[in-house]
Amino acid sequence: MSETLFNEKNVQIIDGAHDWRDALWQASLPLIKEDAITTDYVLNMIASVEKNGPYMVLTDYFALMHARPGQGVNKLGMSLLISRKAIDLEGKPVKIFLVMAAVDNTSHLQSLQKVVSILMDPKSYQIILNANKKAIVAMFAKVKV
Amino acid sequence: MKILAVCGFGVGSSMVLKMTLEKVVMELGLNADVKNTDIASAKAEEADVYFTSAELKPDIESSTSKPVYAIKRYMDKNEVLQAMNDFLAHRGEK
Repeated sequence: MSETLFNEKNVQIIDGAHDWRDALWQASLPLIKEDAITTDYVLNMIASVEKNGPYMVLTDYFALMHARPGQGVNKLGMSLLISRKAIDLEGKPVKIFLVMAAVDNTSHLQSLQKVVSILMDPKSYQIILNANKKAIVAMFAKVKV
Repeated sequence: MKILAVCGFGVGSSMVLKMTLEKVVMELGLNADVKNTDIASAKAEEADVYFTSAELKPDIESSTSKPVYAIKRYMDKNEVLQAMNDFLAHRGEK
């Protein structure tokens, strides 16, 4: 029996954040708490944005935050942080931070594909932007770890 | 035709770009193979065309003579479609 990818704990809604680093730490907290990642992984994600720019902002308001698989990652994990106010990520406004921690190059691909297909649907995307935790968790209920 | 979607680590953003590219390939009815990879591997892998971010574009261009297109929003099908049409229109001109 596998558990659902998103739940009450790893989906967080906030009003805003000091900056994108602050938002990223908050977004990563559930994964740190459940031991899926170490704080090193968060530092790696920050370093990646500083080095490679904000290309992980995949569409308006949505950022797929991640770093190299396996480094600072104990197990596959994803967490979601939605900010009511847009947060600047090196020039791009972001409201949805999806933190992804992968152990290797392949084991997360199915979950990621499912999550992204949901995000690509404009109706579902709006549900996420509406920032209602219950509705978001329910929408992702079909996606297992 | 071989298409490479490239990001820093080859496991997240480029995966999504690959999904968008596959939609475009299907819509245009192209006979193409789309793969995603990280920047280091991309520089050593031959493809007919590369899609990546503006930040990584110069790095790939330094190691290939094939066209490299920068995509701002990896999930934006229209932007990717436009870049693909641009590539198809200019293919073979060099």
